[in-house]
Amino acid sequence: MMTDNTLENMLDFDHPAHLRAHKFLVEESYVLDRRDFDTWLAMMADDITYRIPVTSTLGTNPHKAGEMDHMFEDRYSLGKRIERLKSKYAWTESPPSRTRHLVSNVACFSTDNDAETRVMSALMVYRTQGADQGPDLICGMREDILRNQAGQMRLAARTVTLDQSVLQTQNLAIFL
Amino acid sequence: MENDMNEMDQILEDVRQGWIPSHIYSDAAIFDEEQKRIFSRTWQFMGHVSEVPNDGDYVVRNLLEDSFIVVRGNDTKVRVLLNLCRHRGGKVCRNESGNAQKFVCPYHAWAFKTDGSLAGVPYHQEAYGGTEGLNKKEFGLYRPPHMEIFNGLIFINLDPDAEPLESYLGDFASYLSFYVPDVPGGVEVRGPQRWRFNANWKIGSENFSGDTYHTPQTHASMGAIKLVSSAATSNRKAGVMFAAGRGNGATFRLGDGPGSFEERLGNNGFPKEQIERMRAAWPPEIVALLQQDGLLPSASTLFPNMSLLHISAKIDENDEFAPFTTIRLWMPISATETEMWSWFVVDKAASEEFKRKSYKAYIMCFGTSGMFEQDDIDAWVTLTKMTQGYVSSAVHLHSRMGMNQDGSPLNEPLEEYSGQGTAHIGFNEYNQRRWLNFWAEHLEMDPPAHPIRSGAE
Repeated sequence: MMTDNTLENMLDFDHPAHLRAHKFLVEESYVLDRRDFDTWLAMMADDITYRIPVTSTLGTNPHKAGEMDHMFEDRYSLGKRIERLKSKYAWTESPPSRTRHLVSNVACFSTDNDAETRVMSALMVYRTQGADQGPDLICGMREDILRNQAGQMRLAARTVTLDQSVLQTQNLAIFL
Repeated sequence: MENDMNEMDQILEDVRQGWIPSHIYSDAAIFDEEQKRIFSRTWQFMGHVSEVPNDGDYVVRNLLEDSFIVVRGNDTKVRVLLNLCRHRGGKVCRNESGNAQKFVCPYHAWAFKTDGSLAGVPYHQEAYGGTEGLNKKEFGLYRPPHMEIFNGLIFINLDPDAEPLESYLGDFASYLSFYVPDVPGGVEVRGPQRWRFNANWKIGSENFSGDTYHTPQTHASMGAIKLVSSAATSNRKAGVMFAAGRGNGATFRLGDGPGSFEERLGNNGFPKEQIERMRAAWPPEIVALLQQDGLLPSASTLFPNMSLLHISAKIDENDEFAPFTTIRLWMPISATETEMWSWFVVDKAASEEFKRKSYKAYIMCFGTSGMFEQDDIDAWVTLTKMTQGYVSSAVHLHSRMGMNQDGSPLNEPLEEYSGQGTAHIGFNEYNQRRWLNFWAEHLEMDPPAHPIRSGAE
């Protein structure tokens, strides 16, 4: 049975699964901000699902027609995006974005799979480019499934729920 | 800048010759004229009926600074209502979408039904003297003077004297029925993705009208990572640009001369059942365009700011292609900022598998994270920024491709072309100039009658 993401079920901060998850997130920010995308892709599980749904102001009585995503990725499409960024022709990232992935409020929950931990965290990405682009702020909540693959931590699933319904950065040529 | 009429005349004259004063892409005074003379009289896309499938479903849409509610009433009719309380101007619906039986203003609780009529006024008798003092029938939410639906696409026009949508679209209706086919059961849309960037709204509208010239350079990365076929990147010169009604667009070259409809669509990722459904739903001239001429529409713009796009991309390691269609609005926020509204469109009756693949292709290529779109918008943001300089704003940009020195055309329209309208083959800027001519025409006209000030209902 899936445990709920309630405060009572949150793992202690000295729990080994929490420590592993926190370390993973710091390592991930480190490689993303260094634009070491090959290392980042290697941190993804082969069956990764990576999603950034469009946030919409739905009110108390929503109807759910036409749900949309900003990103809806698998290992193949993440790989293609990285291949593109490494080509000479990804003009929008020339000069490359300078990003700072700030991850905080890390909360871990066990799942019904012993090898997997559900990790909630707050994300703030500060983005500038060249001398006159930005700064843009992209904020949201990550909900991750981290998998322990024989001692190696891999990201098996990520959903980033953005705070803005109208995104205020010219594109998502960066990873959140 | 000062925009007296002589200056404006000179700007429009230059634009018509393919010499574009660069400041038109960042000038607040020009944008002011565009609001009064273009967006006030052109047909504007509000959404698709599939976004409001049930009674009470609504979506809220912006047209410049005006907010509209697109809502399906309890009588199943779709209406467009101005999202402004008739009492003191409150915003009666603050969500982007939802389901409601009434829209109640948060300020003094005037309540409007989903058909726009005013249903409730607190203390109507005591405070207003009842119907004698305030006839509720006269205070429903305003509606734009015209609303029409084409293949499920909801359009409004703010000009009381507007021509009907059908005549506005003209021959472009044929292409609109390619992107949004009249299939049994209709299409469904997902979205929109909304995001803002610091570019003038005209640039995207012009680009989608027929700028295939940018593709090999701007989108070189797509060929480099083999995400799309050569028809969509390096071989764009072999395509044809069409001009039809108030629209302009481009095509991909999928074959030379007559060939198999099935094979050409099949190569672009259409499964068998979708090929048959499209053959039955597309206008005959679109079927002929693909079958006889080997051409399939790619990007188009309906003047002024609605664009459409169809393209196929590889969605997995096995080189499987999937086609997708998107509708988008370049909605100006100011002279230098645009909000993009981008929807994904798919045949409602298509298999879940096809829908998933098509959606995957869309997300990879267009929209907020789209690998095509990223580089387009980057170019337009840079252009918009560049045109703001004291020196740079006075430069005349070159939009004369396909034009001789004396202004005569470099080549004639194709004599044989199966689609509607006229067409030119190869790289040229006939369509962008045609779009800019519409733009100039509108700026020359007096602003239309105001939908409310003129007393129109």
